[in-house]
Amino acid sequence: MRRLEGKRAVVTGGGSGIGRASAIRFAREGAAVLVAGRAANTNETVEVIRADGGIASSMITDASKEENVAAIVERCVNELGGLEVFFANIGVTGTNTPLLEQTVEEWEEVYRINTISCFLAIKYAGRHMTAKRYGSIILTSSAASLRANAGAISYSASKAAVNNLAQTAANAFAGTGVRVNAVLPGLVETQLTRKVFEDARARGIEGKLGHVTPLKRPGRAEEIAAAAAFLARDDSSYVDGQLLSVDGGVSSTHPYGRIALPS
Amino acid sequence: MSDRLKDRVCVVTGAARGIGLAIAERFGREGGRLAAVDVSARRLEPPVEGLNAKGLEARGYAVDVGRREDVHAMFARVEAEFAAPVGALVNNAVWARFQPLAELDPETAERMFAVGVQGLFWTMQAAAPQMERRGGGSIVNLSSVSAYHPAKDSVAYSALKAGVVGLTRAAAMELSPKRIRVNVVCPGMIGTPASIAQFDEATIETRQAEMPLGRFGAPEEIASIAAFLASDEASYMQGAVIVADGGWTVPAR
Repeated sequence: MRRLEGKRAVVTGGGSGIGRASAIRFAREGAAVLVAGRAANTNETVEVIRADGGIASSMITDASKEENVAAIVERCVNELGGLEVFFANIGVTGTNTPLLEQTVEEWEEVYRINTISCFLAIKYAGRHMTAKRYGSIILTSSAASLRANAGAISYSASKAAVNNLAQTAANAFAGTGVRVNAVLPGLVETQLTRKVFEDARARGIEGKLGHVTPLKRPGRAEEIAAAAAFLARDDSSYVDGQLLSVDGGVSSTHPYGRIALPS
Repeated sequence: MSDRLKDRVCVVTGAARGIGLAIAERFGREGGRLAAVDVSARRLEPPVEGLNAKGLEARGYAVDVGRREDVHAMFARVEAEFAAPVGALVNNAVWARFQPLAELDPETAERMFAVGVQGLFWTMQAAAPQMERRGGGSIVNLSSVSAYHPAKDSVAYSALKAGVVGLTRAAAMELSPKRIRVNVVCPGMIGTPASIAQFDEATIETRQAEMPLGRFGAPEEIASIAAFLASDEASYMQGAVIVADGGWTVPAR
């Protein structure tokens, strides 16, 4: 299981959800992990890792700001001795305000946190990794990046930009040995989607969650972490510029449950 | 290495060489019990012996996957001889010729689709009930970047490999209730002896220069993806496509 032995990894948004599960998973596979997050629960992730015998450090910071991302990379290199994996994983959902009433301020906020944070990860992790000619940068996108109606509009658009960034950055890093890929989760219970799950529980329809996916259930954060770990490892050494859907099949199908086929 | 496929009976088609053999070896190292399938018994024997010599449990099955009855009979034999139902299936076997459209003949087209598309119908059809009996399973199909980005003289091959993507997604929908996952890998240029032999040195250099990672892939780099998809690590991946081409088809050119 220690397939990330010797690797140094940054996970942003590491206080909860997919970020926490991934930080724990990376550490369990042998990586030393710098867990970055805005809230105090970032420290709890580090405590879980240490209690498990893993190596981790905590950094309370907003990874959507340029100087902070520069500092994250610097600290990882100085404290953990290098940087081979950067998982850029912070995000916000945006609001479901009607499209015609949305504001530039909301869009700028969503883009800064979801998209520009990925650019900054690529810029600062990329500077270190291209110099070392080795590294894997993983961006959290979403099934909502591919089609409408799986999230707020600003969220979907910001994640579509993340997809393109994975491709354009992979191309920009041609010949450097640095890979850039995106992971596209479907519906997973995290801080971002908690309200969806709580509402469904309150209405007694939790079993309906994920019913349009072929696997007929929501995903677990650990299942996204497993895919992120795959992209972090040399197991994916020939995978570059790709969008990896981990969504129970929802992006590969039409919503067949709702379509009446002629018999 | 690890034991993600511990005790799982794994059927790998086209396992005598190249990517298929790399997949068989990787699955074996992860604890899988190997049913290595190839159309040629003569070609299959040395690699199966090689796998056994490495301490892996492997049996060879010389079967043409394009023949439905033979495929069903083979899966029954596999279950009997391993005394366990099949848990993982990798559809890697292919028979291909690259011809310009004007020269494409029915025999070539029929043979290609019998092995590369219908062969997958028969193996999945035979594997699914066994997987259902053991509470689920994982099927990994091998397509190609040619499904999306055709190479020269690849009318038949591109159709075939696009078909593999389509049948993977349809099977993913259909087999989900049986807890069977079906996903597909699209390799780019992989440096097997057979693929290298197609090109002169200048072409190889040009091709590699086009790829962000700057090199052909190794068969082991496809095997590591297949192992991930076959294992429970990929438990929420269904109908997904993983392209492994060193970024070759990422930029427009």
